[in-house]
Amino acid sequence: MAATGEAASAARGLAIVGMDCAFPGAAGLEAYWELLLRGGRVVGEVPAQRWDTAAVPGAPALGGFLADADVFDHEFFTVTPREAAVMDPHHRLLLQCAWRALEDSGRPPGRRGPADDTEVGVYVGVMGGEWGRLTLGDPAAVTPQLGAGTSAGMTANRLSYHLNLTGPSIAVDTACSSALVAVHLAANALLAGECDTALAAGVNLQLTPTLNQVYARLGLAAPDGLCKPFGAGADGIGRSDGLGVVVLRRLADALAAGQRVYAVLRGTAVNQDGRSNGVTAPNRWAQQRVLEAAYRRAGVRPSEITFVEAHGTGTALGDAIECAALGAVHGVERPRPVAIGSVKGNLGHTEGAAGIAGLIKTALALHHRIVPASKGADQVNGRLRLAERGLSLLRAPLRLPAGEQLAGVSSFGMGGTNAHAVLASAPAPARPAAARRGAAAPGVFTLTADSPEGLRRNLAAQAEAIGRRPKSGAAALCWSSNRARTTLPYRYATVARDSAELAAELRRAAEGGAEALPRPWDQPVVAFVFTGQGCQYPGMTAGLHRESPSYRHHLGAASRALATRLGFSVEELITSGAEAIHDPLTSQPALFAVGYALAHTLIDLGLRPAAVTGHSLGEIAAATVAGALQLEEAAELVVERAIAMDATPAGGMLAVRASLTQLVELLAGEPELAISGLAELAGAATGGSSPGSRAATAGVAPRAPLGAASATTRTLAASVGAQPELAVAAVNGPQDVVLSGSCAALARVEALLTARGVRSRPLRVSRGFHSPLIAPAADRLRALELCPAAPTVPLYSTWRGRLLGAEPMDGAYWAGHAAEPVRFADALGALAAQARPTHLVEIGPKRLLLPLVRRGGLAPGAELLHPAPGAEATGRELAETAAALFRSGLDPEWDALYEAADRRTERLRPYVFATEHRFRWSGACGAAAPAAVRPLASVGRPLGSATRAAEPAAGRPLPPLLAAVIEAVTELGGYPQGHVVGTARFYEDLAFDSVMTVQLKDRLESRLPQLGTVPMRELLPALRTVESLTEYLAGLLTEQVA
Amino acid sequence: MMNGGRMYLGAVGTALPGEPVGNATLGKLLGVSDEWIDIFVGTETRHFGRDLGTGEVLRTLTDLCAEAGAQAMAAAGLEPADIEFLVLATATPDTLLPTTATQTADLLGLDHLPAYQLQAGCSGAVQALDLAGALLGAGRRTGLVIGGDVTHRHLDLDRDLTDLTAEELVNYLIFGDGAGAAVLSTEPIGEAVEIKAVLNRFVGLGRPPGQLVDWYGVSDRHSPRRMLTEDYKEIESSVPELAAEAVWDLLELTGWQAEEVAHLLPPQLSGAMTDRIVARLALPGAREVSCVRATGNTANALPFLQLELLLDGFGEGERALAVSIESSKWIKTGFALERAGRR
Repeated sequence: MAATGEAASAARGLAIVGMDCAFPGAAGLEAYWELLLRGGRVVGEVPAQRWDTAAVPGAPALGGFLADADVFDHEFFTVTPREAAVMDPHHRLLLQCAWRALEDSGRPPGRRGPADDTEVGVYVGVMGGEWGRLTLGDPAAVTPQLGAGTSAGMTANRLSYHLNLTGPSIAVDTACSSALVAVHLAANALLAGECDTALAAGVNLQLTPTLNQVYARLGLAAPDGLCKPFGAGADGIGRSDGLGVVVLRRLADALAAGQRVYAVLRGTAVNQDGRSNGVTAPNRWAQQRVLEAAYRRAGVRPSEITFVEAHGTGTALGDAIECAALGAVHGVERPRPVAIGSVKGNLGHTEGAAGIAGLIKTALALHHRIVPASKGADQVNGRLRLAERGLSLLRAPLRLPAGEQLAGVSSFGMGGTNAHAVLASAPAPARPAAARRGAAAPGVFTLTADSPEGLRRNLAAQAEAIGRRPKSGAAALCWSSNRARTTLPYRYATVARDSAELAAELRRAAEGGAEALPRPWDQPVVAFVFTGQGCQYPGMTAGLHRESPSYRHHLGAASRALATRLGFSVEELITSGAEAIHDPLTSQPALFAVGYALAHTLIDLGLRPAAVTGHSLGEIAAATVAGALQLEEAAELVVERAIAMDATPAGGMLAVRASLTQLVELLAGEPELAISGLAELAGAATGGSSPGSRAATAGVAPRAPLGAASATTRTLAASVGAQPELAVAAVNGPQDVVLSGSCAALARVEALLTARGVRSRPLRVSRGFHSPLIAPAADRLRALELCPAAPTVPLYSTWRGRLLGAEPMDGAYWAGHAAEPVRFADALGALAAQARPTHLVEIGPKRLLLPLVRRGGLAPGAELLHPAPGAEATGRELAETAAALFRSGLDPEWDALYEAADRRTERLRPYVFATEHRFRWSGACGAAAPAAVRPLASVGRPLGSATRAAEPAAGRPLPPLLAAVIEAVTELGGYPQGHVVGTARFYEDLAFDSVMTVQLKDRLESRLPQLGTVPMRELLPALRTVESLTEYLAGLLTEQVA
Repeated sequence: MMNGGRMYLGAVGTALPGEPVGNATLGKLLGVSDEWIDIFVGTETRHFGRDLGTGEVLRTLTDLCAEAGAQAMAAAGLEPADIEFLVLATATPDTLLPTTATQTADLLGLDHLPAYQLQAGCSGAVQALDLAGALLGAGRRTGLVIGGDVTHRHLDLDRDLTDLTAEELVNYLIFGDGAGAAVLSTEPIGEAVEIKAVLNRFVGLGRPPGQLVDWYGVSDRHSPRRMLTEDYKEIESSVPELAAEAVWDLLELTGWQAEEVAHLLPPQLSGAMTDRIVARLALPGAREVSCVRATGNTANALPFLQLELLLDGFGEGERALAVSIESSKWIKTGFALERAGRR
């Protein structure tokens, strides 16, 4: 994936591909942009939860505070309530923000596919260590979790841990420049190849009034809590909370991966004041040098810079020094002064997060091509001499013209560490070939969450956001959702063509019940069932052909393989809707091509059939999918078969709704209607007690020995022209039999059956397939020289009625296969019993076999799917098939579902986390219990019968040992009462780690002294569920008694 | 174009509300035979943003304009930030203020850009192209033009329609709702069709209006005057003449020969009228690109609906002429297109 050579030099720089943030009054990226555009300013009183303002006289009691900073969706990240309570709130909030930023980048957090060997680095700017001071004051209260919860370094490491990111993971503290220095380090790591994706972040929460006091004593605190950058009325700093995360990649990698690029990071630089006028005083020369260094690294001239997001704290000295430095660098010959502004006028100073606030604002400005106005300066500070210095304060939003635009971002630390970054607007994306289509293409919109409630919450959020868009095609939205919204356990998928339809569907699902939002535990087991002759019709699969690029590709391939032998294109025949499709010379090749192409379309989508079977002709396409025949060979076989069959005498087929035994009885008194094979097959059928058991044993009870095929065929061939004129052509189910032979004889049978009240239906064929009439064709097939391979996918032969073993699929095989009855019911029954498919997918142009399967109970429990169920089918049914399998646990290769022009990123509403859990905020208060309690059984694996039996009925007291274990676990994790149940899993549900395991052992030993010392080595394997641990402990106690 | 600059059509988007309403359905509502509609109006289907059964407005003009605009932007691979101006032409804005142009900009996520609204009838789309050409010539690179109308406001289905004169009745039958949009730029993006000339002239000095669309305010809402009147005799005689003039004007502006025109987008008054106009235009080599039989007269949306049809069969290097005549106070408009090489 790493960009090298020419591609890298053509796409220089790093791409910002994902962002998320939370600032006071702006809970996310969209809200932040709205706040900036409308020039909002956020300031409020210190919330009571933070500190008592009366206790810190002289410090400003105003600032920017995040609402709900104590909220954390701990269950989403499987963090115990006890651990969440001691986690630094910086960690809690940043985790959620990082998840959303990664999601925004189009790379699902937590997913590491086999092809994805990229390392993701984490660089977090964070200042001070107030949480430690608040919580570690009492040595008696120190716990291992508290230790891990308070370290600043853990801010970065926790992201790496919870999101499974394995690149460098570093927290940075350079005071107020921390976040932009983190961006600089992340950028350098990407350029050096240390990682392939990097999260750069900044986070700042005001937990104590210490800095308010420091600023006040230094004379730097704005009494009204508002920064007024470059304003005549600038009177100091107002502090603010805030956090933000950007996802960075090398630009060439981002473009290759089709990720949205908000802006390009062209170059960054960091330096130090050195020995300036005091350790906290800014230094004009150092600031000037850091700007120059950044431009040099970015390869741009200062005159090319359109605007600079300045540090701009709004202190008299700070503003003056910054403007002097900016002027010295930018005050060159230039068409227009460089526009300057600072987001601190909106938010106040977010300190450790200030650099990321400025960077995100700048990236959004380049993305939207509008630079928000700088707030806080009603009158510009005249002493800054902005005009003389080639600077101009942005007092109204600036619309950026088309073409590349360059911007700078500054961030300076109190200790003298300065940082500057140069950004450019994103390169214009490669324009897709303009797509003009009839109906908008269908797509599958996917959404996942950690719980049914989470899924409904997010369905509602997506419905709301998508409903606000103008009605437009949904395919790109769907594709974007497939990229980043598929990794969580509870799955939702729906098919839609346009945004209005999608929004309505999402709304409906959000209001639906939890039972509709399943959690798959395993991958689905899919079997392909290929339809045989008689299901062709003019224009079959034309709708799918129009809408599925994959299907077009494979039908084209099959058509070309056939065309060299047929002399015409079955693809053209199919799409033209010609009636000639019913010609036996064309129907067989066309149906083979449809089966082949449909199967490979599904394989492109990531379906790997666990088993295949094909009814009659359908078995040839099945053999190609199973790897027994190459396409060319199969094409030869199909064409030969069609030609050979065409040369046989005219005949017909009759589908009868009766069992073989019934047929024997019905025709008993009609010697002129003797049916070859009927008595033998009926005898074999009555050998089993029920269709199900017969099907299950069919694989081990073949009717004829393998070598007998040709002998049987010869016998049949000899009977042509003599009685009987009819044969059993197929046994499709306990009540579904097909007869084949001369049309006259079939008409007599039909009349007789109708007279006796038995339903029958002539099939649309012109030959008596699988009857003695076919014998000459079978001889021709026997002469074919094929080089079949052993199937690599289990193939259930409808000739043999069981799993095909070592028998080669050569000419002799296909001769017997053509002449003898199709034992579909047996083959499918064996497949169902042995491969145990969860899903049966019919491969053919209409729904023909699935009704037989359902009616005959041939595959109990399997879900039946059809990607092309009839003449009205389009790409929609294919998408429905993919959606159904995704809901059942498959992770499709989604790209194969979409046209290239629809594979473009649309921004989706980020994940909405649960807000009902609030956690400890200050050192003083204890762990707040989560407000809502959900018994863990609802998120755990469905109870098997064994564990269900162990679960006590509601209200009945628990066995004492189980109760003691539950109590210990509840206390240790800080769970609310009733939350921990016997079936809860320690690692997946209860978020146990090794530290907690040790603590649990200590706790159990002191609570149950009769246990003595529990050996850790034995305890570990018992720690599966609360019940398994209880069983183990019960065993220990029994041993001791013994 | 101004300043010798070029203007390219990058993509077209269109929006028609709901399912097509056939003559049988409409005829039943109005108490006329569908055969009469077929013969005298020549329109087969049209779309309405209002449910004719319940009267509920399902799609506003803003909805339709935004749908068409979003489609055009997506087809050209553009994001809202790429759009530097919006021009929207309509005779039937959702409200007088705010303009439908600004409401549409809001739905499309466009911000900090000029959003013009042109009050116009059938010539509005071409006027919008003309203005876009001027804006592109003055330094902007990419813009969006939209035209649309929702005529259902003039369909008073509560009224007893049996006493309408044939002339009044026609007004119920020829119109339809819809919107269309086009992305225009100085660079050949997407479809890369160059707009070689735009004709836009008011020619009604001293001529009485051929069409009048009135509006009520609070003070005169009970006035008995008709909201919609058309002088069909005058339209029938003047529009073909003006259309013929417009074709010659465009050939003059481009320097093309009549036989070089491969496609013709004629005025779309009604199915029957369009046939008459095409016969008069004497461009026998040109493929006629018309939509009115399927969409009804959607006024400001028409040229976009025709453009969408044109693009499907518009070969490389081929040339096309479009003509639209507004018969209200007589505005003669048209434009000339040439397909550059696809990129």
